[in-house]
Amino acid sequence: MNSSRNFLILIIFTLIFSASINHEALSDESSDVKKELQELRQMMEQMQKKIDALEEKNRALEQQAKQKEKPVKEEIIVVEEETDLTVIEEPAQESQSFLSKVQNTFNPEISVIGTFAAAYYSQNDPIVFAENDPENTGVNVQEIEVGFKSVVDSYFRFDLFLSFSTEGVELEEAYGTTLFSLPLNSQFRIGRARAKFGRINQIHRHNQNFVTLPLPAAQFLGEHLNPTSIEANFLVPVPWYLELSASGGSPDVETPTFARDENANDIGKLLYIFHIANFFELSESLGVSLGGSFATGSNGTAAGERSNLYGIDLFVKYRPLKNNPYQEVMFQSEFMYLDAQTPEETLENWGWYAELVYRFAKRWNSGFRFGIIDTNTPVREVEGEDVETTNLFTSIRNEEGEEEEMLGLLGRTYRLSPMLTFNPSEFSQIRLQYDYLNQDFAENQHAIFLQFQYAIGAHGAHPF
Amino acid sequence: MKKLQYIQGVTITIILFISIALLGQNALAQVQIVTSVPDFASIAKDIGGDKVEVVSLAKGYQDPHFVDAKPIFVTKLNKADLLVYNGLELEIGWLPILITGARNSDILVGNSIGHYNASASIKDKLEVHTSPIDRSMGDIHPGGNPHYMLDPRNGISVARGIAARLIKIDPENAAFYEENFKNFVSALKQKISAWDAQLAPYKGTEVVTYHKLWTYFLDWAGFKLADTIEPKPGIPPTPSHVADLVKKMQAQDIKLIISANYYPQKTPQIIAQKTGSTFLALPTMVEGRDGINSYIELFDAIVGEITSPLKHKEGL
Repeated sequence: MNSSRNFLILIIFTLIFSASINHEALSDESSDVKKELQELRQMMEQMQKKIDALEEKNRALEQQAKQKEKPVKEEIIVVEEETDLTVIEEPAQESQSFLSKVQNTFNPEISVIGTFAAAYYSQNDPIVFAENDPENTGVNVQEIEVGFKSVVDSYFRFDLFLSFSTEGVELEEAYGTTLFSLPLNSQFRIGRARAKFGRINQIHRHNQNFVTLPLPAAQFLGEHLNPTSIEANFLVPVPWYLELSASGGSPDVETPTFARDENANDIGKLLYIFHIANFFELSESLGVSLGGSFATGSNGTAAGERSNLYGIDLFVKYRPLKNNPYQEVMFQSEFMYLDAQTPEETLENWGWYAELVYRFAKRWNSGFRFGIIDTNTPVREVEGEDVETTNLFTSIRNEEGEEEEMLGLLGRTYRLSPMLTFNPSEFSQIRLQYDYLNQDFAENQHAIFLQFQYAIGAHGAHPF
Repeated sequence: MKKLQYIQGVTITIILFISIALLGQNALAQVQIVTSVPDFASIAKDIGGDKVEVVSLAKGYQDPHFVDAKPIFVTKLNKADLLVYNGLELEIGWLPILITGARNSDILVGNSIGHYNASASIKDKLEVHTSPIDRSMGDIHPGGNPHYMLDPRNGISVARGIAARLIKIDPENAAFYEENFKNFVSALKQKISAWDAQLAPYKGTEVVTYHKLWTYFLDWAGFKLADTIEPKPGIPPTPSHVADLVKKMQAQDIKLIISANYYPQKTPQIIAQKTGSTFLALPTMVEGRDGINSYIELFDAIVGEITSPLKHKEGL
């Protein structure tokens, strides 16, 4: 009875409402709501189903895991592991973090190293030997080095280093290295690279031990000798480490010693560099490396004129692994001899430097360097000009009317440089250095440097 | 004429060296294994026996983060059939340049059989950073804490990886390697349960370490890391941090400081004196101290030394 009455009331209401103007809209809305509700219900049902399925899966997985775990406790695992040995199975890295994903992409390793130096010179127009040495009293950008490093494929790796300074950008290095086994233990480097000549030339600025470049290196190699070339390195199977290197290429970079010949279309007039490197491990704490270098190529003074540069390098490192693992003493020394033919005369110059560095604590080291360059054929005074007052770097080539760096030397120059370095971490460095420069043809010069260095990006390798 | 003589000289020496090179090859039949640290060398020796020749680049008493990339290592890698290294950036400062210089495609790339990054076999890595990190946090490794070999259970995983590779490289002796692997695992397992029993009474002991080097060990032993003497990984202790640490240790009654025997020992000794706690400079790798010549002996030493001061305390 009740329900039928309700039903009647409902019909009446419907009739009344159906007569109303809002009739259409309302009925639409209610049906919409119903539809939505139905949809929601359906969705809920689907989700419930999914949840059920997931739960079941989870249960199954847990059981599997338990089954796998069981043998561990029961010490039967050896049998299972035995079967594992036939296949090399590295557990999939399921829980890969955001970082490891970034690392696993094909981007090359990128590093940026900035080197700045506050400097004080005792002279107005200071004598500076290398391009990236601090230029003036004030704060100087020495170098911003940007490096990109990566393997290309399983056959090559490629390394690129750009050097930014106030003068602009230089392609410091860009070379490919062979990675595959080749006969005679050879390895090739193709492209522009710091040549294997001596030791300091292979060490990037930020890894060097002093603010300024050693005198002979600055004088004979320039900031660095980095011709574009093909370089072959042979690892000779002897009981010690012995590597023979030979490279041939173009002196297409500014170097004081070598330049492109006028008759550049002659293979014999390219730049050839040879290097022999030895390393002897005298004990686990003491290592000695001894090398010899020879570079020959045209020097650009006139067609057919050559420069021959000879070098000997010695490096000794003592690090008592057992007693004081973070202390070390390093001695590094190089001798260079240049024999350069010019249309007027043959120049014979030599240079030598030696540096001793003592790391007395993990983050502190201190050192002293002596460098000298000398010539037995001093550059003649330019007529009508006083050598001491004119630009000391007027060169023989300048006399020939070319604006290039000096080939010869003016006389004897030596420099003394004590240094103290603090590394707050592996990635930053503060260095204090004093330079005393003595020249037998000009005034002495004093200089003080405070150098700051920062490295960001990929963790660099520590060269030996 | 002088130049010609020079060129002659150079050619002769090159030919001489080439002939030496040719003579030097194909003399060795054993599988040549090079490992970055002695832990792997010891396990490889256990599995390979006399069928392999193993050499470790770093010494056991040396900080494996800071090893000199001596050129002589290149000659060792050059002849290697198998390279085993820790990974997780432990050797990043010195191993990559050596591998590049080695001219040996057997060990060069990640997917070649002779290139074994042992961290790939470690299932449960600790301290894997999931949020962005930067170097103001100290010398941290994004892939996780690299000192996983201080949990002996991980030794089993690594042994399996080495054995599997030896079998691939030298299938003729597969049975031999399998047998040795089985022996190694069962010996290590027996030992692990013995060590577990030794450590069990001291579960929950709070310790201070010098570097965050003991994460895996503490995880296994059930100890708790209260703090480190280094304020941040790789950053030497500062006076203010040491003062805070002393206060903290006194307040929480922390009685044990452990460190690797290659880390500076002065600061930990001073802290130990001030707080009346015990400082232990422990070996962390095989050959880390005279007399420790195998992975098992390493843990015998570590577990023995850690539990002995705790025993005394209990006795009092």
